[in-house]
Amino acid sequence: MFKNRLDQLIWQRHRRMLFAIGAMALLGIVMIALIALHDVTSDHYSRSLVNAVTMQQWAPYRGIYFSGFSVWLMIAAWLAGLEMMHLDLRDNFNQFLFSSGFSRQRIYWSKIKVAFLTLLFIDSVTTAVQYLIYWVGTPSGYTWHIGWPGILSSWLFGLMMSFGLFAISWFASLIIGQEGPLVVTIAGFTFSLGGYSAISGNIVRKLTSLTETQIMWCVLTFAVILALALLIWGSALYQRLSLEHNGEYLMFPHLRVPVYIVFVIYVTFFFSWTSDGTSFVLSLLFTLLFGYAWLWRPRLGEQWHQWRERKRG
Amino acid sequence: MTLQVTGLSKQISGRPIIQDINFEWAPGEIIGLVGRNGVGKTTLFRTMMNQYVPETGHVAIDGEDILNVPSRQEQLFFIDTQYNFLSTYRLWELPRFFGTVYPNFDGDRFTKLITQFKLDPNSQYRRLSKGMRALVNLILALTSNATYIILDEPFDGLDVIVRENIATMVIDEVADQQKGFLISSHDLNELDGLSDRVLLLKDSRLIHDYNLEEVRSRAKKIQLVLNDKVIPDVLKAHSQLIRVSGRVLVVVITDYTPAIEQELKALKPVLFEELPLTLEDLFRANLAHDTGYQLLK
Repeated sequence: MFKNRLDQLIWQRHRRMLFAIGAMALLGIVMIALIALHDVTSDHYSRSLVNAVTMQQWAPYRGIYFSGFSVWLMIAAWLAGLEMMHLDLRDNFNQFLFSSGFSRQRIYWSKIKVAFLTLLFIDSVTTAVQYLIYWVGTPSGYTWHIGWPGILSSWLFGLMMSFGLFAISWFASLIIGQEGPLVVTIAGFTFSLGGYSAISGNIVRKLTSLTETQIMWCVLTFAVILALALLIWGSALYQRLSLEHNGEYLMFPHLRVPVYIVFVIYVTFFFSWTSDGTSFVLSLLFTLLFGYAWLWRPRLGEQWHQWRERKRG
Repeated sequence: MTLQVTGLSKQISGRPIIQDINFEWAPGEIIGLVGRNGVGKTTLFRTMMNQYVPETGHVAIDGEDILNVPSRQEQLFFIDTQYNFLSTYRLWELPRFFGTVYPNFDGDRFTKLITQFKLDPNSQYRRLSKGMRALVNLILALTSNATYIILDEPFDGLDVIVRENIATMVIDEVADQQKGFLISSHDLNELDGLSDRVLLLKDSRLIHDYNLEEVRSRAKKIQLVLNDKVIPDVLKAHSQLIRVSGRVLVVVITDYTPAIEQELKALKPVLFEELPLTLEDLFRANLAHDTGYQLLK
């Protein structure tokens, strides 16, 4: 599948998990398609699985019974980022990679290349299966008509979202060394993005006279640029990744203060964007304390144990 | 052709684990690395292998820094016995990984050795006993055909048969002067029979680089029985005490000269006997401070 030695190595290592992610996405898509095809028969108002008007607009198509680009494929990208970076850390494959005759830069970009090509393959195959199911399985008397504007926009939107989600889980897996906190951190960050995209949408709406679709593309483009910046920053960090920090919350201890600052600003604004001053102060206090306890937790934990031991005598 | 370690230092959590390590290593050499627990032997290996980023220093092969010319690292082999990725893989799967990283990996020899040692290729690495894992590690090391092979505690917890197998394989491998081994071990007797050279780590520094043949030509281990229990000045000044049992003293004199011999004989000891000098004696002698032997002086 890959001709380059390093790509082959990365593929050998990750193919099982990537297959599993692909299988999960396929299963999810097939299930959604079959449920939609079943549900549409009890819909007495519409005889079409697709809204013909919306499908002809240059905007991502997401209807009740059909999506141009399934959300399962975005989940697959999110999981692939997590898997490709975190599993090598957890299973000590990084030791092997770093000791091999390949530079870290090459390893980093080769992993991304293998992940992207596999995800693109998964996207293509699962979407083909999805469309095939709709094409073959549309009940008689019902229609399923798709158009290029809706499909192409859906794919562009889907790929941009997948890229962003991949970058988030990839970068977080690079800097966080503990499995549980990693999942909590990425999940929290990913879910909060929905809120932030709404906030940034509101800002753009107030400042400009763009349409909703244009605003969406602007926000999405900005997110892709940020994702790209994360990947490039990640490549610089990967060069300095020292494995004695395996198992620690932060793989780069010098990032503790910047992460703390970003966390405090991000969470405070998220919780108090439309609120009054009191909510802002409370949110700020909460995030300051929580962030401190979270990031300096090992030391606090140690001090707690020492205090308990002293009390016991 | 040499591997040079120059000024290598590594701190973990602000504590220096290895400091300013310098040595050279050529194919055909079997170097022992000894030092007390926690002195930084494994950290040295991990830093040499680019798993840990050093504060200072570098590793070069034939003058080329392995960070600048990463392909040089194909000549260097190390399996971390504590942290490796092999656990979930079956033995037959391993050559795929190692064959990709080491261009000269000998897959046929790997299969042959696995069969020779009656290891099941279908077994998962993590299901193997400690001894079997050590054997698999060594088989991978040998079949990688890397020039410089690092073995971390290869004899740890192994039965005598496996130890002999490992030792024999290592000796056979260096016979043609194409490969070199750097072996850390607490089993000094085992290392004694293998190594030509021993590096001694103490307080995170490389304090001695012994050429064993040279040391043995200068040093002597002597068993003395003196007339009284007072340790004479000549011994205090020139020797390291290995064992004291009543009036029986076992000492190592690292720079044995005829003058010292005369002084010792002048004490008219009841017994004066030369014993074979082992690596363990050197280790004890150099780490006397740590082991508390100096208190007897």
